[in-house]
Amino acid sequence: MLFFRSEERVRTWCSASGYPTRPVVTMRQLWELARDWYATRLQPDSRRPKPDEMRAIFGRIGLTGDFWDPQADAFGA
Amino acid sequence: MDLDLRVKLAIYEHFAAVGRRPGADDVAARAGVSAPEVREAFGRLRAQRVLVLEADGVTIRMAPPFSGVPTPHRVTAGDVSYFANCAWDALGIPAALHRPAIVRSRCEQSHEPLELTVSDRGAEPSDWVFHCLVPAARWWDDIVFT
Repeated sequence: MLFFRSEERVRTWCSASGYPTRPVVTMRQLWELARDWYATRLQPDSRRPKPDEMRAIFGRIGLTGDFWDPQADAFGA
Repeated sequence: MDLDLRVKLAIYEHFAAVGRRPGADDVAARAGVSAPEVREAFGRLRAQRVLVLEADGVTIRMAPPFSGVPTPHRVTAGDVSYFANCAWDALGIPAALHRPAIVRSRCEQSHEPLELTVSDRGAEPSDWVFHCLVPAARWWDDIVFT
């Protein structure tokens, strides 16, 4: 889970490394993801999201499809 | 409050206060329990994916978003500096602390430095991007690589 200066840099890095290029996430989306995931992490009632809650968090910020599905058969459980 | 919760909160309080991982003795003192109880709790918290431990089973590698080891992703909030496990967690640290912070990292391809300000209104606008190589269903196959 890495930062890149641009989508072109992602493509260059993936190509050079032999990795597939995955969906690119904007910094605005990443901030929303970090906030939704971690805002309560230091509180007593905090817990990791369950799969359906993960899907809801990702979906709210536009991260959809099998790649972001924590139980997608396409990628194994 | 049950033992595992006291241990978890003590771990996070330590990370938040000093920016470094606590040892079992630090956690025991902060939580008011014995070191053997802490080590047993570490194992249960690992099973719940709350912690990632080193191979010795007692040293904390990750208490997300905090990293117990140096990484390219650094976060400074006030006079405390932290290491994050990844780009996501670099923004997760100010989100968890609810404090303004400076995130410093780099472009993985060009190594161009990134410096991003996070205020109480969130991360400043930026045209940098985030890329995750591993699908969500596989993150915990090898969470350190992820």
